[in-house]
Amino acid sequence: MMRTKLKILAGLVVALPVAATPAVAEEDFMAWLLDFHRTKGVAPVTDERYKEECGECHFAYQPGLLPAKAWDALLNEQSLRRHFGANAELDSDTLRDVHDYAVNNAAEKSYYKLSRKISVATSEGQVPVRITELRYIAREHRHIPERMIKGNNGVKSLSFCDKCHTEAEKGIYDPDTVSIPNYPHWGD
Amino acid sequence: VNGEDVRKVMEKMGCGSRYWGHFASFCIVALSSFAYADEPAGNPDLPSAASAYVRDPRALKLSPQDSQLIMDSQLYGPIPYLLAGNEDQTLAGEGSETEAPGSGDAPVSGRKVHKYLGLGTLALFGLTALTAPDGGRNNTSRQNTGTHHQLGIATAAMAASTVASGLLVHWDDFHFEDGYADPDNLHVMLAGAGTLAMLYAVSVAPAHSHSGAGIAGGAAMVVAVKLTW
Repeated sequence: MMRTKLKILAGLVVALPVAATPAVAEEDFMAWLLDFHRTKGVAPVTDERYKEECGECHFAYQPGLLPAKAWDALLNEQSLRRHFGANAELDSDTLRDVHDYAVNNAAEKSYYKLSRKISVATSEGQVPVRITELRYIAREHRHIPERMIKGNNGVKSLSFCDKCHTEAEKGIYDPDTVSIPNYPHWGD
Repeated sequence: VNGEDVRKVMEKMGCGSRYWGHFASFCIVALSSFAYADEPAGNPDLPSAASAYVRDPRALKLSPQDSQLIMDSQLYGPIPYLLAGNEDQTLAGEGSETEAPGSGDAPVSGRKVHKYLGLGTLALFGLTALTAPDGGRNNTSRQNTGTHHQLGIATAAMAASTVASGLLVHWDDFHFEDGYADPDNLHVMLAGAGTLAMLYAVSVAPAHSHSGAGIAGGAAMVVAVKLTW
């Protein structure tokens, strides 16, 4: 009986680190291993300054939604002058704080499942800076008709995650928490 | 495939006729719940704006900045409803459909059924391991009517139900173009392999040693669940 228990324990000890290798070690592996809270989506934003500065104009996207190289390309003085068609310049101190928070919590530095998926999918080749152009995100939304997004006054663009993902602010993007404005029976 | 075929397969796997009924029950429970999947809450016929219930806007208690509305209504006629800033398009008929009330979190869905079947499998696996008689070394305890044996069959059946429900509700979540390291791909591979190992362990028990296959199957299941938890 004792031997059986030891075998189970040994199997788990060996298998988990091997399977979790895509998640990189910035976060404490043991903390993730022993954490029974769900980490299916992305880590919620915890930095007030990031939330305030980004959230002033749009939904404060969680850093775990893009890899570090994408945040690096997005959050610099030159890029912010033409931030998806708008001038979003920040003073240098704020920019440094926002940049550092995003890069330090980027997809490849998180154990959250959605971040690990994004990290694996963007580990090679060119990385899109638009979250909606990530292969996984694009694939998940490809079946939703345009009338429910662009033609929907309550949504207008895929960029507004929180319009349909009712728990987006907590980093939860599970389909069970989706409610498309004006389309209560969207899943039918 | 009919019920007789399933029964024969189950008998070949070492499960008596009374066990295939258990297996079928698991499958029915798993599949029947999909009927409720993604059922949104609320009444779609309700108007989107609470103000739609109020015929006379002046009956509302207005905040100071709304005094302009009263003046306008006196000058230009009655205002149909008091609108929030973003509701003018709805009034103009551009958004003719009503908004979805509630948070959208479905109380019962295929995903939740899959999750609980998976957790149930882990719980049964733990119980099966705990009830293993003397590490399988004592021949006198090798019988197919003991608690360990029955728990083993229940675990394998529940694992198979979990895989079946996962394939149905998460069919679009795993793509091998994403590579073997993708968490969902790993989840599918480990859970599938774990279930096969469990079914193998059940099929060779109690005549042959099966602890290795059973433990490997359970461990693969635990890792598969943790990776996507």
